Amino acid sequence: MSFGRTIIWLMGALLVPPLANGQGTEVPAELAGTGYFRDQDTLPGAYRFYRQLPGGEGGLWGLGPTRQKLSHASFRVDGHEGVADYSPELRCQKCHTQQTKDLHGLRMGITCVQCHRSQPIAGVYQYYSPLNPIRRHAYVCAKCHEGATPSFASYMVHEPNPIASEARGTFPLLYYAVWFMLILAVGVFLFFLPYTMAWWIRDLVARLRRGSDHG
Amino acid sequence: MADDRTRLRRFTMVQRLWHGGLVLLFMLLSVTGIAWMYFETPWGRDLASVFGDYGDVLEVHRIAGLVMLAGFAMHIVYLLCRVDWKGFPWSLLGPETLVFQWIDVKGFLGHLGWVFGLNELPRFDRWSWWEKFDYWAVWWGLMIVGVTGLMLYNPVLTSDFMPGWLLNIALWIHRIEAVLAMGHIFTIHFTVENWRPSSFPFNAAMFDGTIELEEAKHEHPEWVARMEREGHLGAALVPPPPVPLRICYFVFGYAIIFLGLFLLVFAIANAALLTLF
Repeated sequence: MSFGRTIIWLMGALLVPPLANGQGTEVPAELAGTGYFRDQDTLPGAYRFYRQLPGGEGGLWGLGPTRQKLSHASFRVDGHEGVADYSPELRCQKCHTQQTKDLHGLRMGITCVQCHRSQPIAGVYQYYSPLNPIRRHAYVCAKCHEGATPSFASYMVHEPNPIASEARGTFPLLYYAVWFMLILAVGVFLFFLPYTMAWWIRDLVARLRRGSDHG
Repeated sequence: MADDRTRLRRFTMVQRLWHGGLVLLFMLLSVTGIAWMYFETPWGRDLASVFGDYGDVLEVHRIAGLVMLAGFAMHIVYLLCRVDWKGFPWSLLGPETLVFQWIDVKGFLGHLGWVFGLNELPRFDRWSWWEKFDYWAVWWGLMIVGVTGLMLYNPVLTSDFMPGWLLNIALWIHRIEAVLAMGHIFTIHFTVENWRPSSFPFNAAMFDGTIELEEAKHEHPEWVARMEREGHLGAALVPPPPVPLRICYFVFGYAIIFLGLFLLVFAIANAALLTLF
Protein backbone atom coordinates (compact mmCIF):
# COMPACT_ATOMS: atom_id res chain seq x y z
CA MET A 1 0.00 0.00 0.00
CA SER A 2 1.35 3.33 -0.95
CA PHE A 3 1.65 6.11 1.56
CA GLY A 4 -1.10 8.11 -0.23
CA ARG A 5 -3.56 5.27 0.05
CA THR A 6 -2.84 4.90 3.75
CA ILE A 7 -3.75 8.53 4.29
CA ILE A 8 -7.01 8.18 2.42
CA TRP A 9 -7.88 5.03 4.38
CA LEU A 10 -7.20 6.73 7.68
CA MET A 11 -9.31 9.74 6.69
CA GLY A 12 -12.11 7.43 5.74
CA ALA A 13 -11.87 5.62 9.04
CA LEU A 14 -12.16 8.91 10.88
CA LEU A 15 -15.06 10.20 8.83
CA VAL A 16 -17.22 7.16 8.41
CA PRO A 17 -18.15 6.19 11.99
CA PRO A 18 -20.24 9.31 12.74
CA LEU A 19 -22.12 8.86 9.53
CA ALA A 20 -22.57 5.21 10.24
CA ASN A 21 -24.00 5.90 13.71
CA GLY A 22 -27.09 7.49 12.24
CA GLN A 23 -27.21 11.02 10.89
CA GLY A 24 -28.61 13.83 13.10
CA THR A 25 -28.90 12.00 16.38
CA GLU A 26 -25.64 13.51 17.75
CA VAL A 27 -25.93 16.71 19.89
CA PRO A 28 -24.85 19.60 17.67
CA ALA A 29 -21.52 21.06 18.76
CA GLU A 30 -23.05 24.41 19.72
CA LEU A 31 -25.43 22.73 22.19
CA ALA A 32 -23.01 20.21 23.64
CA GLY A 33 -21.46 22.72 26.04
CA THR A 34 -17.81 23.34 26.46
CA GLY A 35 -17.48 21.04 29.41
CA TYR A 36 -16.05 23.95 31.33
CA PHE A 37 -18.70 23.90 34.06
CA ARG A 38 -18.36 20.15 34.56
CA ASP A 39 -14.62 19.81 34.18
CA GLN A 40 -13.14 23.12 35.28
CA ASP A 41 -15.50 25.43 37.12
CA THR A 42 -16.64 22.82 39.60
CA LEU A 43 -13.30 21.22 40.29
CA PRO A 44 -12.27 21.81 43.88
CA GLY A 45 -8.91 23.48 43.38
CA ALA A 46 -10.06 26.05 40.91
CA TYR A 47 -10.19 29.44 42.67
CA ARG A 48 -8.67 28.00 45.81
CA PHE A 49 -8.43 31.49 47.30
CA TYR A 50 -12.12 31.94 47.53
CA ARG A 51 -13.23 28.74 49.14
CA GLN A 52 -13.27 30.32 52.60
CA LEU A 53 -12.53 26.97 54.13
CA PRO A 54 -10.47 26.48 57.28
CA GLY A 55 -6.75 26.41 56.72
CA GLY A 56 -6.45 29.95 55.53
CA GLU A 57 -4.26 31.66 53.02
CA GLY A 58 -1.20 33.80 53.52
CA GLY A 59 -0.83 37.56 53.36
CA LEU A 60 -3.82 39.88 53.32
CA TRP A 61 -6.16 37.04 52.41
CA GLY A 62 -5.31 35.32 55.67
CA LEU A 63 -6.86 38.20 57.64
CA GLY A 64 -10.26 37.80 56.03
CA PRO A 65 -13.33 35.89 57.09
CA THR A 66 -12.66 32.35 58.18
CA ARG A 67 -15.06 29.51 58.71
CA GLN A 68 -14.54 28.17 62.16
CA LYS A 69 -17.24 25.54 62.08
CA LEU A 70 -18.84 24.04 59.01
CA SER A 71 -21.87 21.88 59.47
CA HIS A 72 -22.51 18.81 57.34
CA ALA A 73 -25.65 20.53 56.10
CA SER A 74 -23.45 23.02 54.25
CA PHE A 75 -22.36 20.17 51.95
CA ARG A 76 -25.77 18.56 51.33
CA VAL A 77 -27.91 18.85 48.22
CA ASP A 78 -30.80 19.58 50.54
CA GLY A 79 -29.39 21.62 53.40
CA HIS A 80 -32.53 21.04 55.46
CA GLU A 81 -32.34 17.28 55.18
CA GLY A 82 -32.96 15.73 58.56
CA VAL A 83 -33.98 19.00 60.25
CA ALA A 84 -36.80 18.19 62.63
CA ASP A 85 -40.06 20.04 62.00
CA TYR A 86 -38.70 21.51 58.78
CA SER A 87 -41.26 22.32 56.17
CA PRO A 88 -40.73 24.20 52.90
CA GLU A 89 -43.79 26.24 53.89
CA LEU A 90 -41.97 27.89 56.79
CA ARG A 91 -40.51 31.35 56.41
CA CYS A 92 -36.71 31.42 56.42
CA GLN A 93 -36.68 34.15 59.08
CA LYS A 94 -38.26 31.77 61.58
CA CYS A 95 -34.88 30.11 62.13
CA HIS A 96 -32.36 32.23 60.20
CA THR A 97 -33.12 35.50 62.01
CA GLN A 98 -29.60 36.91 61.92
CA GLN A 99 -29.30 36.31 58.17
CA THR A 100 -32.08 38.76 57.36
CA LYS A 101 -30.38 41.72 59.04
CA ASP A 102 -28.02 42.92 56.37
CA LEU A 103 -27.87 45.45 53.57
CA HIS A 104 -29.10 43.08 50.86
CA GLY A 105 -32.27 42.16 52.67
CA LEU A 106 -33.06 45.32 54.59
CA ARG A 107 -32.08 48.03 52.15
CA MET A 108 -32.56 46.37 48.78
CA GLY A 109 -35.34 43.94 49.63
CA ILE A 110 -33.48 40.95 48.21
CA THR A 111 -35.22 37.74 49.28
CA CYS A 112 -33.40 34.63 50.47
CA VAL A 113 -34.31 32.52 47.44
CA GLN A 114 -32.91 35.07 45.00
CA CYS A 115 -29.46 33.85 46.02
CA HIS A 116 -30.09 30.52 47.78
CA ARG A 117 -32.59 29.41 45.11
CA SER A 118 -35.70 27.39 45.78
CA GLN A 119 -36.39 23.97 47.26
CA PRO A 120 -34.41 21.94 47.94
CA ILE A 121 -32.05 24.62 49.17
CA ALA A 122 -28.53 23.33 48.76
CA GLY A 123 -25.81 23.88 51.34
CA VAL A 124 -23.45 26.60 50.13
CA TYR A 125 -20.50 24.19 49.97
CA GLN A 126 -22.39 21.49 48.14
CA TYR A 127 -20.40 20.54 45.07
CA TYR A 128 -22.89 21.86 42.50
CA SER A 129 -24.54 24.57 44.61
CA PRO A 130 -24.73 27.92 42.80
CA LEU A 131 -23.53 29.52 46.04
CA ASN A 132 -20.42 27.36 46.23
CA PRO A 133 -17.61 29.96 46.43
CA ILE A 134 -15.97 28.47 43.35
CA ARG A 135 -18.82 29.77 41.19
CA ARG A 136 -20.81 32.10 43.45
CA HIS A 137 -19.55 35.22 41.68
CA ALA A 138 -20.85 34.13 38.29
CA TYR A 139 -24.03 32.31 39.30
CA VAL A 140 -25.32 34.59 42.06
CA CYS A 141 -23.50 37.92 42.53
CA ALA A 142 -23.29 38.78 38.84
CA LYS A 143 -27.09 38.71 38.56
CA CYS A 144 -27.00 42.27 39.94
CA HIS A 145 -23.29 43.15 40.21
CA GLU A 146 -22.24 43.04 36.59
CA GLY A 147 -18.78 41.58 36.13
CA ALA A 148 -18.54 40.16 39.66
CA THR A 149 -15.29 38.28 40.29
CA PRO A 150 -14.43 35.60 42.86
CA SER A 151 -12.67 38.29 44.86
CA PHE A 152 -15.82 40.43 44.81
CA ALA A 153 -17.85 37.42 45.92
CA SER A 154 -15.72 37.08 49.02
CA TYR A 155 -17.67 40.07 50.40
CA MET A 156 -19.50 38.72 53.42
CA VAL A 157 -23.21 39.27 52.82
CA HIS A 158 -24.24 37.88 56.22
CA GLU A 159 -21.56 39.70 58.17
CA PRO A 160 -21.20 39.09 61.90
CA ASN A 161 -21.79 41.73 64.55
CA PRO A 162 -18.35 43.35 64.23
CA ILE A 163 -17.99 44.27 67.89
CA ALA A 164 -19.05 40.90 69.28
CA SER A 165 -16.27 38.60 70.40
CA GLU A 166 -17.34 35.93 67.87
CA ALA A 167 -16.21 38.27 65.12
CA ARG A 168 -12.65 38.10 66.43
CA GLY A 169 -12.60 34.49 65.35
CA THR A 170 -14.72 34.63 62.21
CA PHE A 171 -13.60 37.96 60.74
CA PRO A 172 -10.62 39.26 62.74
CA LEU A 173 -9.72 42.28 60.62
CA LEU A 174 -13.32 43.56 60.73
CA TYR A 175 -13.36 43.13 64.51
CA TYR A 176 -10.13 45.04 65.09
CA ALA A 177 -10.84 47.78 62.51
CA VAL A 178 -14.31 48.50 63.91
CA TRP A 179 -13.09 48.51 67.51
CA PHE A 180 -10.26 50.88 66.55
CA MET A 181 -12.69 53.29 64.88
CA LEU A 182 -15.16 53.07 67.76
CA ILE A 183 -12.51 53.84 70.36
CA LEU A 184 -11.34 56.78 68.25
CA ALA A 185 -14.87 58.18 67.85
CA VAL A 186 -15.98 57.58 71.41
CA GLY A 187 -12.68 58.97 72.68
CA VAL A 188 -13.14 62.20 70.71
CA PHE A 189 -16.65 62.68 72.13
CA LEU A 190 -15.69 61.65 75.66
CA PHE A 191 -13.00 64.30 75.65
CA PHE A 192 -14.61 67.12 73.68
CA LEU A 193 -18.22 67.06 74.89
CA PRO A 194 -17.47 67.61 78.59
CA TYR A 195 -14.56 69.90 77.72
CA THR A 196 -16.77 72.08 75.51
CA MET A 197 -19.41 72.29 78.23
CA ALA A 198 -16.87 73.31 80.88
CA TRP A 199 -15.35 75.78 78.42
CA TRP A 200 -18.78 77.29 77.74
CA ILE A 201 -19.38 77.87 81.44
CA ARG A 202 -15.87 79.32 81.93
CA ASP A 203 -16.41 81.60 78.93
CA LEU A 204 -19.65 82.90 80.46
CA VAL A 205 -17.94 83.55 83.80
CA ALA A 206 -15.09 85.42 82.06
CA ARG A 207 -17.56 87.49 80.08
CA LEU A 208 -19.63 88.41 83.12
CA ARG A 209 -16.46 89.45 84.99
CA ARG A 210 -15.27 91.56 82.07
CA GLY A 211 -18.72 93.15 81.91
CA SER A 212 -18.68 94.04 85.60
CA ASP A 213 -15.12 95.44 85.28
CA HIS A 214 -16.26 97.84 82.57
CA GLY A 215 -19.41 98.79 84.43
CA MET B 1 -11.69 106.54 57.53
CA ALA B 2 -9.71 105.05 60.39
CA ASP B 3 -12.80 105.01 62.61
CA ASP B 4 -14.84 102.31 60.89
CA ARG B 5 -11.85 100.04 60.25
CA THR B 6 -12.62 97.98 63.33
CA ARG B 7 -12.11 94.51 61.90
CA LEU B 8 -8.97 92.48 61.37
CA ARG B 9 -8.45 90.45 58.20
CA ARG B 10 -8.10 86.77 59.13
CA PHE B 11 -8.97 84.60 56.12
CA THR B 12 -8.32 85.06 52.40
CA MET B 13 -10.98 84.80 49.71
CA VAL B 14 -9.71 81.33 48.67
CA GLN B 15 -9.84 80.08 52.25
CA ARG B 16 -13.40 81.40 52.69
CA LEU B 17 -14.52 79.88 49.40
CA TRP B 18 -13.03 76.52 50.33
CA HIS B 19 -14.70 76.59 53.74
CA GLY B 20 -18.02 77.48 52.06
CA GLY B 21 -17.63 74.66 49.53
CA LEU B 22 -16.70 72.27 52.31
CA VAL B 23 -19.84 73.31 54.24
CA LEU B 24 -22.15 72.76 51.26
CA LEU B 25 -20.62 69.41 50.26
CA PHE B 26 -20.42 68.20 53.86
CA MET B 27 -24.13 68.92 54.36
CA LEU B 28 -25.09 67.32 51.05
CA LEU B 29 -23.05 64.23 51.94
CA SER B 30 -24.54 64.20 55.45
CA VAL B 31 -28.14 64.38 54.22
CA THR B 32 -27.68 61.75 51.51
CA GLY B 33 -25.52 59.54 53.71
CA ILE B 34 -27.98 59.62 56.61
CA ALA B 35 -30.93 59.09 54.25
CA TRP B 36 -29.14 56.00 52.97
CA MET B 37 -28.20 54.76 56.43
CA TYR B 38 -31.75 55.30 57.75
CA PHE B 39 -33.50 53.95 54.66
CA GLU B 40 -35.31 51.26 56.66
CA THR B 41 -37.00 53.97 58.79
CA PRO B 42 -39.85 56.23 57.59
CA TRP B 43 -37.75 59.29 58.41
CA GLY B 44 -34.87 58.02 56.29
CA ARG B 45 -37.18 57.32 53.36
CA ASP B 46 -38.68 60.82 53.64
CA LEU B 47 -35.19 62.27 53.63
CA ALA B 48 -34.29 60.17 50.59
CA SER B 49 -37.45 61.19 48.74
CA VAL B 50 -36.03 64.73 48.48
CA PHE B 51 -33.55 63.32 45.97
CA GLY B 52 -35.79 60.73 44.33
CA ASP B 53 -35.39 57.09 45.23
CA TYR B 54 -32.71 55.03 46.91
CA GLY B 55 -30.54 54.89 43.81
CA ASP B 56 -30.70 58.66 43.29
CA VAL B 57 -29.61 59.31 46.87
CA LEU B 58 -26.62 57.03 46.33
CA GLU B 59 -25.74 58.72 43.08
CA VAL B 60 -25.88 62.22 44.61
CA HIS B 61 -23.77 60.98 47.55
CA ARG B 62 -21.17 59.49 45.22
CA ILE B 63 -20.89 62.55 42.99
CA ALA B 64 -20.74 64.94 45.98
CA GLY B 65 -18.00 62.75 47.45
CA LEU B 66 -15.97 62.92 44.25
CA VAL B 67 -16.36 66.71 44.11
CA MET B 68 -15.22 66.95 47.72
CA LEU B 69 -12.15 64.81 47.03
CA ALA B 70 -11.36 67.00 44.01
CA GLY B 71 -11.59 70.05 46.27
CA PHE B 72 -9.30 68.32 48.76
CA ALA B 73 -6.77 67.60 45.99
CA MET B 74 -6.90 71.27 44.96
CA HIS B 75 -6.36 72.26 48.58
CA ILE B 76 -3.21 70.12 48.69
CA VAL B 77 -1.94 71.83 45.52
CA TYR B 78 -2.76 75.19 47.13
CA LEU B 79 -0.78 74.21 50.23
CA LEU B 80 2.22 73.16 48.15
CA CYS B 81 2.12 76.57 46.46
CA ARG B 82 1.87 78.39 49.79
CA VAL B 83 4.84 76.66 51.42
CA ASP B 84 7.97 78.80 51.62
CA TRP B 85 10.28 76.23 49.98
CA LYS B 86 13.43 78.36 50.44
CA GLY B 87 13.23 78.11 54.19
CA PHE B 88 11.87 74.53 54.17
CA PRO B 89 11.42 72.71 56.52
CA TRP B 90 11.88 75.40 59.19
CA SER B 91 9.40 77.64 57.37
CA LEU B 92 6.67 75.16 58.37
CA LEU B 93 7.12 76.30 61.95
CA GLY B 94 6.23 79.66 63.39
CA PRO B 95 3.05 81.41 64.50
CA GLU B 96 1.46 81.76 61.05
CA THR B 97 1.29 78.06 60.12
CA LEU B 98 -1.22 75.44 61.21
CA VAL B 99 1.51 72.88 61.99
CA PHE B 100 1.29 71.58 65.56
CA GLN B 101 4.22 72.80 67.63
CA TRP B 102 5.39 72.73 71.22
CA ILE B 103 3.55 75.99 71.83
CA ASP B 104 0.25 74.22 71.11
CA VAL B 105 0.91 71.69 73.87
CA LYS B 106 1.49 74.63 76.20
CA GLY B 107 -1.54 76.38 74.75
CA PHE B 108 -3.71 73.33 75.35
CA LEU B 109 -2.50 72.83 78.93
CA GLY B 110 -2.87 76.55 79.62
CA HIS B 111 -6.38 76.54 78.19
CA LEU B 112 -7.27 73.47 80.24
CA GLY B 113 -6.00 75.26 83.35
CA TRP B 114 -8.00 78.36 82.45
CA VAL B 115 -11.22 76.37 81.97
CA PHE B 116 -10.84 75.01 85.49
CA GLY B 117 -9.86 78.39 86.92
CA LEU B 118 -6.22 77.56 87.66
CA ASN B 119 -4.51 80.23 85.56
CA GLU B 120 -4.99 83.08 83.11
CA LEU B 121 -6.15 82.46 79.55
CA PRO B 122 -3.04 81.71 77.44
CA ARG B 123 -2.08 84.46 75.00
CA PHE B 124 -2.83 82.69 71.72
CA ASP B 125 -1.10 83.77 68.54
CA ARG B 126 -2.82 83.53 65.16
CA TRP B 127 -4.06 79.95 65.63
CA SER B 128 -5.12 78.41 68.92
CA TRP B 129 -4.69 74.69 69.54
CA TRP B 130 -8.37 73.90 68.83
CA GLU B 131 -8.31 75.79 65.53
CA LYS B 132 -5.34 73.67 64.43
CA PHE B 133 -7.14 70.56 65.66
CA ASP B 134 -10.23 71.51 63.63
CA TYR B 135 -8.11 71.95 60.51
CA TRP B 136 -6.26 68.64 60.86
CA ALA B 137 -9.43 66.80 61.86
CA VAL B 138 -10.78 67.55 58.38
CA TRP B 139 -7.61 66.04 56.92
CA TRP B 140 -7.80 62.89 58.98
CA GLY B 141 -11.55 62.57 58.39
CA LEU B 142 -11.29 63.16 54.66
CA MET B 143 -8.48 60.64 54.34
CA ILE B 144 -10.54 57.97 56.09
CA VAL B 145 -13.94 58.61 54.48
CA GLY B 146 -12.26 59.44 51.17
CA VAL B 147 -10.30 56.21 50.84
CA THR B 148 -13.16 54.01 52.04
CA GLY B 149 -15.64 55.99 49.95
CA LEU B 150 -13.56 55.48 46.82
CA MET B 151 -13.37 51.75 47.61
CA LEU B 152 -17.16 51.59 47.88
CA TYR B 153 -17.70 53.72 44.77
CA ASN B 154 -17.32 50.75 42.45
CA PRO B 155 -17.11 47.57 44.54
CA VAL B 156 -16.58 45.24 41.57
CA LEU B 157 -13.63 47.28 40.30
CA THR B 158 -12.20 47.64 43.83
CA SER B 159 -12.22 43.89 44.35
CA ASP B 160 -9.92 43.50 41.35
CA PHE B 161 -7.21 45.13 43.45
CA MET B 162 -7.96 43.77 46.92
CA PRO B 163 -10.04 41.07 48.59
CA GLY B 164 -13.76 41.79 48.26
CA TRP B 165 -14.28 41.28 51.99
CA LEU B 166 -12.32 44.50 52.59
CA LEU B 167 -15.56 46.18 51.49
CA ASN B 168 -17.25 44.90 54.66
CA ILE B 169 -14.54 46.68 56.63
CA ALA B 170 -14.53 49.78 54.41
CA LEU B 171 -18.26 50.31 54.90
CA TRP B 172 -17.99 50.11 58.70
CA ILE B 173 -15.02 52.47 58.80
CA HIS B 174 -16.82 54.87 56.44
CA ARG B 175 -19.91 54.87 58.65
CA ILE B 176 -18.13 55.34 61.97
CA GLU B 177 -15.90 58.12 60.65
CA ALA B 178 -18.94 59.84 59.09
CA VAL B 179 -20.85 59.65 62.38
CA LEU B 180 -17.79 61.00 64.20
CA ALA B 181 -17.41 63.89 61.74
CA MET B 182 -21.11 64.82 61.78
CA GLY B 183 -21.38 64.50 65.55
CA HIS B 184 -18.31 66.66 66.02
CA ILE B 185 -19.46 69.39 63.63
CA PHE B 186 -23.09 69.50 64.77
CA THR B 187 -22.25 69.70 68.47
CA ILE B 188 -18.68 70.72 69.27
CA HIS B 189 -17.78 72.86 66.24
CA PHE B 190 -21.09 74.77 66.30
CA THR B 191 -20.81 75.36 70.05
CA VAL B 192 -17.17 76.42 70.13
CA GLU B 193 -17.48 78.74 67.14
CA ASN B 194 -20.97 80.17 67.59
CA TRP B 195 -22.57 79.50 70.94
CA ARG B 196 -19.83 80.30 73.40
CA PRO B 197 -20.97 83.44 75.24
CA SER B 198 -18.08 85.41 73.69
CA SER B 199 -19.09 84.59 70.11
CA PHE B 200 -22.87 84.12 70.48
CA PRO B 201 -25.01 84.13 68.35
CA PHE B 202 -22.92 83.79 65.20
CA ASN B 203 -19.24 83.95 64.37
CA ALA B 204 -18.96 85.08 60.74
CA ALA B 205 -15.14 85.10 60.66
CA MET B 206 -14.96 82.23 58.16
CA PHE B 207 -17.65 83.85 55.97
CA ASP B 208 -16.62 87.51 55.79
CA GLY B 209 -12.95 86.75 56.48
CA THR B 210 -12.51 89.20 59.36
CA ILE B 211 -12.93 89.39 63.11
CA GLU B 212 -13.58 92.32 65.40
CA LEU B 213 -10.24 93.80 66.59
CA GLU B 214 -11.51 93.86 70.17
CA GLU B 215 -12.37 90.15 69.94
CA ALA B 216 -8.95 89.41 68.41
CA LYS B 217 -7.23 91.24 71.28
CA HIS B 218 -9.04 88.93 73.68
CA GLU B 219 -8.84 85.59 71.80
CA HIS B 220 -5.56 86.08 69.90
CA PRO B 221 -3.68 88.77 71.85
CA GLU B 222 -0.23 87.56 70.80
CA TRP B 223 -1.24 87.78 67.12
CA VAL B 224 -2.40 91.40 67.47
CA ALA B 225 0.68 92.33 69.51
CA ARG B 226 2.99 90.72 66.95
CA MET B 227 1.31 92.53 64.07
CA GLU B 228 1.58 95.79 65.96
CA ARG B 229 5.29 95.16 66.64
CA GLU B 230 5.95 94.30 63.01
CA GLY B 231 3.88 97.25 61.81
CA HIS B 232 1.31 95.21 59.83
CA LEU B 233 -1.68 95.93 62.01
CA GLY B 234 -2.83 99.12 60.28
CA ALA B 235 -2.80 97.49 56.85
CA ALA B 236 -4.76 94.47 58.11
CA LEU B 237 -7.66 96.50 59.47
CA VAL B 238 -10.81 96.69 57.36
CA PRO B 239 -14.29 98.15 57.80
CA PRO B 240 -17.13 95.75 58.59
CA PRO B 241 -18.85 94.22 55.56
CA PRO B 242 -22.10 95.88 54.39
CA VAL B 243 -25.19 94.96 56.39
CA PRO B 244 -27.00 93.04 53.59
CA LEU B 245 -23.92 90.81 53.20
CA ARG B 246 -23.79 90.23 56.95
CA ILE B 247 -27.46 89.23 56.90
CA CYS B 248 -26.68 86.77 54.09
CA TYR B 249 -23.83 85.21 56.10
CA PHE B 250 -26.06 84.92 59.15
CA VAL B 251 -28.97 83.36 57.24
CA PHE B 252 -26.67 80.93 55.42
CA GLY B 253 -24.88 80.01 58.63
CA TYR B 254 -28.06 79.39 60.58
CA ALA B 255 -29.69 77.48 57.73
CA ILE B 256 -26.71 75.10 57.88
CA ILE B 257 -26.79 74.98 61.68
CA PHE B 258 -30.51 74.13 61.74
CA LEU B 259 -30.03 71.48 59.06
CA GLY B 260 -27.24 69.98 61.12
CA LEU B 261 -29.32 70.00 64.31
CA PHE B 262 -32.28 68.52 62.43
CA LEU B 263 -30.10 65.63 61.24
CA LEU B 264 -28.57 65.18 64.70
CA VAL B 265 -31.88 65.13 66.59
CA PHE B 266 -33.73 62.85 64.17
CA ALA B 267 -30.75 60.55 63.70
CA ILE B 268 -30.55 60.04 67.46
CA ALA B 269 -34.34 59.69 67.79
CA ASN B 270 -34.45 57.05 65.05
CA ALA B 271 -31.24 55.25 65.98
CA ALA B 272 -33.14 52.54 67.86
CA LEU B 273 -34.98 51.61 64.65
CA LEU B 274 -31.75 50.85 62.81
CA THR B 275 -30.65 47.29 62.22
CA LEU B 276 -26.87 47.38 62.09
CA PHE B 277 -26.14 43.69 62.50
